[in-house]
Amino acid sequence: MATAKLKEATRQPWQGQLIRFVPYIIGGVILILLPAVMPSYVQGIWTKFVIFAIFATSYDLAYGHTGLLSLGHAAYFGAGGYAVALLMLHYGIDSLWIGLPVGILIGAAVAAAFGFITLRVSGMYFLLVTFALAQLLFSITWNVRWFNSPGMMGIAGLSLPDLGIPWFSWSTISLYYFVLVMFLISFFLIHRIINSPFGYALRGIREGEVRMQALGYNTWFYKYVAFIITGAFAGLAGVLFVYYNRFISPTHIGIMFSFLPMIMVIIGGSGTLIGPVIGAMIIIFVEYFASLFTPERWPLILGAIFVTVIMYAQGGIAPHLSRLWQRMSYRYGSTKS
Amino acid sequence: MEALRVEGLSKDFGGVHALSNVSFSVEVGEHLAIIGPNGAGKTTLFNLLNGQLPPTAGRTYFFGRDITTMPTHRRAHLGQSRSFQIISLFPNLTLLDNTLITLHGTKRSRFQMFRPTNRYQHLLARAQEILTAVALWEKKNEFVKNISYGEQRRLEIALTLASEPKLLLLDEPSCGLTSAESADITDMIHRLGRDITVLLVAHDMDLVFGVAERIIVLHYGEVIADGSPEEIQASPMVKEIYMGIEEDTENATAR
Amino acid sequence: MLLFLIASGMSIVMGLMGITNLAHGALYMVGAYVGWSIAVQYGLPFGLAVFLGGCAGGLTGLILERGFLRRLYKLPNEQVLLTFGFVYILSNLCLWIWGPRRRLQFTGEFLSGLIHIGGIPFPMSRVFMIIMGILVAIGLWWMQDRTRLGAMVRGGMDDKEMTMGLGINLERVSMLVFFLAAFIAGIAGVVGAQLLGAYSWLSTDILVLALVVVIVGGIGSVQGALLGGIVIGLIDTVFKTLLPQFSMFTIYLAMIIILMVRPSGLLGRRV
Repeated sequence: MATAKLKEATRQPWQGQLIRFVPYIIGGVILILLPAVMPSYVQGIWTKFVIFAIFATSYDLAYGHTGLLSLGHAAYFGAGGYAVALLMLHYGIDSLWIGLPVGILIGAAVAAAFGFITLRVSGMYFLLVTFALAQLLFSITWNVRWFNSPGMMGIAGLSLPDLGIPWFSWSTISLYYFVLVMFLISFFLIHRIINSPFGYALRGIREGEVRMQALGYNTWFYKYVAFIITGAFAGLAGVLFVYYNRFISPTHIGIMFSFLPMIMVIIGGSGTLIGPVIGAMIIIFVEYFASLFTPERWPLILGAIFVTVIMYAQGGIAPHLSRLWQRMSYRYGSTKS
Repeated sequence: MEALRVEGLSKDFGGVHALSNVSFSVEVGEHLAIIGPNGAGKTTLFNLLNGQLPPTAGRTYFFGRDITTMPTHRRAHLGQSRSFQIISLFPNLTLLDNTLITLHGTKRSRFQMFRPTNRYQHLLARAQEILTAVALWEKKNEFVKNISYGEQRRLEIALTLASEPKLLLLDEPSCGLTSAESADITDMIHRLGRDITVLLVAHDMDLVFGVAERIIVLHYGEVIADGSPEEIQASPMVKEIYMGIEEDTENATAR
Repeated sequence: MLLFLIASGMSIVMGLMGITNLAHGALYMVGAYVGWSIAVQYGLPFGLAVFLGGCAGGLTGLILERGFLRRLYKLPNEQVLLTFGFVYILSNLCLWIWGPRRRLQFTGEFLSGLIHIGGIPFPMSRVFMIIMGILVAIGLWWMQDRTRLGAMVRGGMDDKEMTMGLGINLERVSMLVFFLAAFIAGIAGVVGAQLLGAYSWLSTDILVLALVVVIVGGIGSVQGALLGGIVIGLIDTVFKTLLPQFSMFTIYLAMIIILMVRPSGLLGRRV
């Protein structure tokens, strides 16, 4: 009896009404239906968007939820990507069933190694150490011959993964749906993590680490595990990126690349689940449109959007959207007050 | 049974002796107040007791166990609970979330990564109890930064009891509160069972004398008096310290 | 020496204002581009180019600080992100205004020769760089240790609240310091252009270098930037001759070792 009342009290007003399906419908249309009717070049853009959505969401777990501002997230992305690429280059292994898990594991492993070093410090120093470590990885891939295709920088000519199914061959749209499935799985997992006590603890750490310790939380442990998780998901994004892009280079570990998820998270809304996804969508699609009309001015546009959002729309787009959503659902949804 | 014992605790900050050779013990269920002028080292002492800072010298014993080098979070599991002089609730999280996080702190479920937090019905019910007891249940979805200072303090103090602690460390709990709100805190402490030990740092003398069964006076990091409230009130040395301060403030306001 | 010029401004800003100005490299770049215009496009004396490059950098920095960073007081994460947004904007602006040319290396007329010191020929441009570096170092040291401004800066770095409590307008001091750092970055841009030239990726290339030197040398200290510059420069040169493959790697490794062993850098102020 008491629990029923409790559930009633903590319910959101739109639950139990039909209107709560609207976001899913919109999402479904955008993610599932639209790409099927687009030309294959645009499908590629959609694929890129979803990959970066995974990348950005992984970053937000560290930044938006745990409060760890890191400057080297591309390291885990690149680690996963390079793992798959190197498997293909040096060992001729292009099986999906090997490449994908290895990529994720390598991403997580690099995060585990780096986390050990970076989590000894905080604040400004944390920023600098994450940067330093990513640059280290960058210089290794730049200088060491083993990390590059012969005679060039980076690894090229990579093939799409082998599923082990003889009659199957990839197309742009099938790759997209594969990536989408990966994204949905990741999204679901991260959604679970965010709403779990573990996720709550991460936000508590963001808000006040000292108090969290006094409450009984071993904050280093939480930060470390969160770090590894973000590394794993970033690694996943890296693997998918290699399948999509067929090419990987040290640039994908560099500082400019590390900024992409940061920008997406800021514009879309940090600390929310859907914010990074929205941010990824905005950035990737605006980039596409910019490339059609003013390709040289793209960084300028990006920078301008970014600065505007930071100055005037702090919290990103997601909170505004969710407020809009709340207002609409009050109006069209609930009949109770 | 000693709940807490400290021997020779000292803390130096590069030449500044914040605490020098502090020793005392506290029995289970005792209500001890630590008073002293500003800068006497009271909060530093708390930071040593709760593990935020390591001592330069000395040992700390909690129920007979040497916890001198134990990290803060483990002390919470042993039964310590602390409130902070500056309110430390999580500003950008809701009251309900603050409460839930506090409740999970000493439970194994805090490591759970897949089960949503609001499925833990018994903790949700406990949260409701706590929030209702401080008349804040209606505001459960408000962000902490949006409620009043007094309400925040009320919640923070209430949350210190959430983990069913053995030792309560209250650092200036009535700081910034009205006298009515302070009286609430006095009541709350009176209503505590005899198995909860309370250590209190305060400037508010009404609170101190309303609650304390024993008082320790710190001055420049040293214990200069340790006794019952009557003894302390009567002590000329203590009077001098506080008189000196009162005189200064009188002179300042007189000008 | 060039490394010192690049890093010193950034280090001080970080120490005093707690802002990691990721756009510092971009300010360098602005200086380099403007310097190029002055020296090459308009054919004016190099010294003027250096000065105006500095002004350009300083002005840009000022706009950045007053117009934008100031508004994000107490939001350090946002400030850092903001500076990075500006890297994009400034890099692309420069590309737009000056066009996508390849590295523009340039130097003043009288500096393009060789000078003989003790029988060994040195390129004049290098000597000039070193001299500029020494001048700036002396200037900064004098300012830091001998002037009231320097004292205020040092006080602000040690204890912000106390300094403000003493009635010192830390805001204006910060603004001045930021301008100065940007100015030096601009000068560095022109001076360094003799070696590195001017191109739009300078923003990030220089940023990386600056961060390395600041980390190794220590945040918030001029001497640190100097030492850091020397140390990194040495490591780089040594390894370039011995194991050219690993020169970059060793720099970053040095940075990481410092961060682990002594996070505040060799001569840093904050821990």
